[in-house]
Amino acid sequence: MPQDMPPVGGYTSVQYKRNVPARGFKPVYYLVGMHMIMAYGFYKYFHGVREQRELAREKIWSRLYLTPLLQAEEDRDQVRRHLADKAREKELLGTEQKIYNSDRFIRPTYVYTPSKVTQ
Amino acid sequence: MSQRDPRFNQHVLVDTTPMPDHIPKVDEIGATSAPLMSAAYFIGDRCKAYNDDFMKCKDEANGRGEIECLKEGRKVTRCAASVIKDINTNCLKQFTAHWECLENNNHYLFECRRAEQQLNNCVFEKLGLKKNIPGTPENQVPVHMRPKQKYAQYPGPQF
Repeated sequence: MPQDMPPVGGYTSVQYKRNVPARGFKPVYYLVGMHMIMAYGFYKYFHGVREQRELAREKIWSRLYLTPLLQAEEDRDQVRRHLADKAREKELLGTEQKIYNSDRFIRPTYVYTPSKVTQ
Repeated sequence: MSQRDPRFNQHVLVDTTPMPDHIPKVDEIGATSAPLMSAAYFIGDRCKAYNDDFMKCKDEANGRGEIECLKEGRKVTRCAASVIKDINTNCLKQFTAHWECLENNNHYLFECRRAEQQLNNCVFEKLGLKKNIPGTPENQVPVHMRPKQKYAQYPGPQF
């Protein structure tokens, strides 16, 4: 029996590729492009951060220059209330008592409020 | 200790007892936040000695600074009040423009560079006080002199 042989002239080629042309650039160009975009972004970001730092410095110094002024006003108000408390205590109890074993100035936990509306 | 519980009543109840007579009186500064921020660098320029003196006194008073540093505190307040008064008499228009701009822009200094530049020039000419931000790197323009502000609503040149 004769052997089953390929057809004369060989088999036709099998189309295993899709018939679509490769789109776009070579992949390495996309990689390079992505890095360039990122480099530009970081460039802008660093400049923004530098400006933010300077703006923060400006803001903090404007507050630092005002701090003594605001603190002085607050201290004066606290001392006024403290002295008023002392005078009231003396009037009511006859003596001044030390309630803390310390000579520091301590902000009162409970604030005196007048019995009548004052303002 | 530093916190006061809220009082949900309709009346303002404040202890209005005045300061005893043996402590000298001083008028409080009486300015709100925007004018103070606008004038902060000029206050810092003229009153640096008084400010440092007051803070040093408080630091060295071992917690009794509130009572012991009243004298230094009065000097601080008087000096700041003198700066505000001088700016008001000499550069009222620029000053008002700047602090109203701050008021309308969430106290962002970078939104008001044009008004600030005019105020700075006027104050430097009339009073000789200069805005100087300590610690700015030497090799760059100080941020308040740059016409373009990256974070302003309008990022182009403001003046």
